Amino acid sequence: MHPNLSFEQAPPIWVPYRFFLTAPLFGIATGLLLAWSGPEALASRWTPAALALTHLMVAGFMLQAMCGALLQFIPVAAGGNIWRPTLVAGVVHPMLAVGAALLAGGFLAGPGPWFAVGAGLIVTALSIYVVVVGIALFRAPARGATILALRVAIAALVVTYVLGFTLAQGLRGVGGIPLLEFTHVHAAWGLGGWALLLLSGVSYYVVPMFQLTPAYPAWLGRLLPWTLLTALLLWATQLTGEARAWHSWVLLAGLLAAGLFALVTLRLQAQRRRRVPDVTLTFFRIGMASLLVIVLAIALITVPPAPTFLPVREWAVPIGILTFVGLFVSVITGMLYKIVPFLNWLHLQRLGGLTVFPPNMRDMIRERAMVWQMRLHLAALAALLGAATWPPLTAIAGLLFAASCAWLEWNLLGGVRVYRTFRDRIRAVDACHAP
Amino acid sequence: MSSQRVIDGRDMQPPEPLEKALEALDTLPPDGELVLLLYCQPHPLYQILRRNGYVWTETMQSDGTNEIHIRKAASA
Repeated sequence: MHPNLSFEQAPPIWVPYRFFLTAPLFGIATGLLLAWSGPEALASRWTPAALALTHLMVAGFMLQAMCGALLQFIPVAAGGNIWRPTLVAGVVHPMLAVGAALLAGGFLAGPGPWFAVGAGLIVTALSIYVVVVGIALFRAPARGATILALRVAIAALVVTYVLGFTLAQGLRGVGGIPLLEFTHVHAAWGLGGWALLLLSGVSYYVVPMFQLTPAYPAWLGRLLPWTLLTALLLWATQLTGEARAWHSWVLLAGLLAAGLFALVTLRLQAQRRRRVPDVTLTFFRIGMASLLVIVLAIALITVPPAPTFLPVREWAVPIGILTFVGLFVSVITGMLYKIVPFLNWLHLQRLGGLTVFPPNMRDMIRERAMVWQMRLHLAALAALLGAATWPPLTAIAGLLFAASCAWLEWNLLGGVRVYRTFRDRIRAVDACHAP
Repeated sequence: MSSQRVIDGRDMQPPEPLEKALEALDTLPPDGELVLLLYCQPHPLYQILRRNGYVWTETMQSDGTNEIHIRKAASA
């Protein structure tokens, strides 16, 4: 039987929407910055522009979408009670947005005072967020794979931002921390812990529900969080010294678990009961295929004996592009295209009752607009990967990515316009029937 | 004799089963019954039914199907 949803405790629609509508703006900024920075930006993952681009994606696009989704998901899917969601969103959302922008600016201009303010804003916002969401998650009545994945993900988020804040201090010359090792551990906990576990936890729910697939196997729900957590803890031991050869095997274990999640998801999607074209399904497939390529590429370049034709330095940038744009932007976009029409419908239904029916789900965001946006996203991904090996393509790749994110924003705004139109219509009908 | 209408929502994408159930309730005769087949417990639908004076019973089948019988409260 599929998981059940309860909307008794759902937050107001604007709580997740303010995050969802901000996320693509960071994607636009990323694309424009890449186009403006030119080929030097992708020369290595350590250039100021590359670090700024990375943080516009992770602390901007991804964090906005993921924090917003979790505020909606925990009450509805796990029955957790979020304390004053409107207030929390009203405080956390602007702090995260301004913090991410300042952080990216700090990477570009040098780690000055604004960089410290940006890092401080993100840490403060996430600390508030983690306390509120953490309490809701640990008190939630639901049990099972999703709740376990989300709990480990939240713990991983704490490790990620504590390490990130320490790194920010280190970049400003405070203390004598090993920057390289801290960066490796920070990135692993952020991407392999927080982001991937959150993605898996939400997928256990939404893939069977929206894509009409069989349920995920129970063993995967236990294996993935525990394997990733163990691997991340062992990976973090390099903070006390330098990375050793066995760290490569730890990385491989984590990668294999991630690859398994991608394979199971693709297999379940192949077994779906209703075989109709669906843009979310295609976005998910792009994401899972990207994850498999990432796993294979990292395994090849890090696990000894690494073949000489795959030098780590040259492969770091394409792997980063596949991670941010191929995997996370793809699945986040696919989920937004399902969640926004669904939330519109449910909230309008609650407002209208049995008097005014909300428009059909398919009329919330036009299928054709979503499909063409997806094609542009794929073109941007291909151009970005091309730019990593042929730098003259960088500006075009950046502009294509900015355009695909702008189109995503436009499509989401279209969904919001439909919501507003029908909400006003329902209010007008209610006013007519008022005594 | 009361009329019965069956909606098999097991292969429908949410919220299509809900949409179809609400449309059917709109035209259901006072003594009619709506049978909804799903793989889940549709809590949003239950809230709507509760607010609008409907009653329901649910039976879980061995294949995971939740068979929900819905009627107007007065004719239950």
